[in-house]
Amino acid sequence: MSELLDIFSVLILLSAFVLMANKRIRSYIKTFRIQSFFIAAAAGVMGWESFIEKGHVDILVVCAIIVILKVIYIPNLLSKVYSNLEYRVEKDFIFNIPLLILISCGLVVFTYFSVSTVEGLNEGFLNKQIINSVSVFLMGLFFMISRKKAIGQIIGFLELENGLYICAMFSTHGMPLVVDLGIFVDMLTAVMIMGLMVFRINEKYESINIKKLNRLKG
Amino acid sequence: MNTIIYIVLQATVILLVAPLVNGIINKVKAFSQKRKGASVFQMYYDLLKLFRKSCVVSETASWIFKVAPWILFATSLTAGMLVPVTTLIHPLHYPGDVILLLSLLALGRFFMMLAGLDTGSTFGGMGSSREGMISSLMEPSILVCLFTVSLVAGSTSITSIVGGMQELGTPLAKPVFILIFLAMLTVIMAETARIPVDDPSTHLELTMVHEAMILEYSGRQLALMEYGSAIKQLLLMDMVVNFFFPHDQFLMAGVSGVLLSLLIYLAKVILLSLLIAFVEVSTVKFKLFSIPNLAALAFILSFLGFFQYFVIGGSHV
Repeated sequence: MSELLDIFSVLILLSAFVLMANKRIRSYIKTFRIQSFFIAAAAGVMGWESFIEKGHVDILVVCAIIVILKVIYIPNLLSKVYSNLEYRVEKDFIFNIPLLILISCGLVVFTYFSVSTVEGLNEGFLNKQIINSVSVFLMGLFFMISRKKAIGQIIGFLELENGLYICAMFSTHGMPLVVDLGIFVDMLTAVMIMGLMVFRINEKYESINIKKLNRLKG
Repeated sequence: MNTIIYIVLQATVILLVAPLVNGIINKVKAFSQKRKGASVFQMYYDLLKLFRKSCVVSETASWIFKVAPWILFATSLTAGMLVPVTTLIHPLHYPGDVILLLSLLALGRFFMMLAGLDTGSTFGGMGSSREGMISSLMEPSILVCLFTVSLVAGSTSITSIVGGMQELGTPLAKPVFILIFLAMLTVIMAETARIPVDDPSTHLELTMVHEAMILEYSGRQLALMEYGSAIKQLLLMDMVVNFFFPHDQFLMAGVSGVLLSLLIYLAKVILLSLLIAFVEVSTVKFKLFSIPNLAALAFILSFLGFFQYFVIGGSHV
């Protein structure tokens, strides 16, 4: 069972790399959908395990919420926001893609060396799922830095949130349902507000390139 | 005695199966375009016909142009001998490991690039420089892949690696090997001039890489070039099927065991060709300057695999 979770954690990390290598906003949204699907699958595996062993349905409910929210609703919302914007292909990232990917690779190595010094992860046994999740978290932060457009940054934020969520999920094997629901409502509000903001920014400045916001400085 | 049987069997299987892979891939591609397509045995007929024809050689070409097809064919075949199609017959002390294999392939590719430059045509030079770029980008990921599987098996000899994989049973259940498998698939697509990197079915001057290098060849030399490339493709696929889907641990030694093993091997190669054809049909060709992105992803796949095994997984694998 933990081998299956290992596989899913690796696939989530891999989708973070693929997200870093993407060039278009449509493919950001698509890759984010795939990443969320893997998270839902991991939650499903855990939920099934706890259902068989203890008869709890909490995590299965969480899995269903992830599918509805992260796999279906938020990507659709973002693509709706994006299709309302003026379509223009611009170079969206600060470095070229191979360099971005190599830096992310460095982040994974860094995470390994920093997480391995933390004691008490699964009774002193270094858990690779934790390393993969913390790497996804850091790569989400780096994705936000590396993209100039607002939608790219929203995706980066969501990836960061995914990283935090799977970090909690893999280390606890199921949080209380109330905590999960709180996180989801928080994230949903954030995404809706950000989507609205992007729309307003675009209306006002005819672009969602955040560099243009610098003109507002006095 | 065992060694002689091994050499004869291995060479026969490789020489016979290599053109079939191209035939299957082309057939699938034809079906995807709603064509009937050429027969899956078309490449055999092409090769037979080309071997009977004489060669036209440019006046400005030097000896490199003439020896390059032979070197490519010989290195591919020698490298093919290093990857066993079945481990039921293998000589006891078989020399050669993954490093020799990669250097043999690199030698063949080096001469192919030289031959592309040799006649002085613009297409040849263009193809050679592109091939140089692609192969130097893809080399690190296949090296890391092969070193990771060598670490798992505890030896760089390919026969031992296949043996180690057979002990694991189903390698693809481990995250490490999923990553390495995906990396090797990407490398195969690049090394065999398949669609995300190069389009094997066109002679469009802006896109061709492999075809540009062998554009000046004709007759027997062209046949050798094509055959050498097909063998190279087959041996890369051999590595994938024998590393990640081992089957010989279920079979007994003996004539019937070997025959059964070869049949299963053939089925696996056909399935992998179908997979490659599917990838080729469902993706678009990248522009040349996007290939470093693909190479970076392939490298990351293999590096993460290495990392998951060597640093994180340690001896648990």
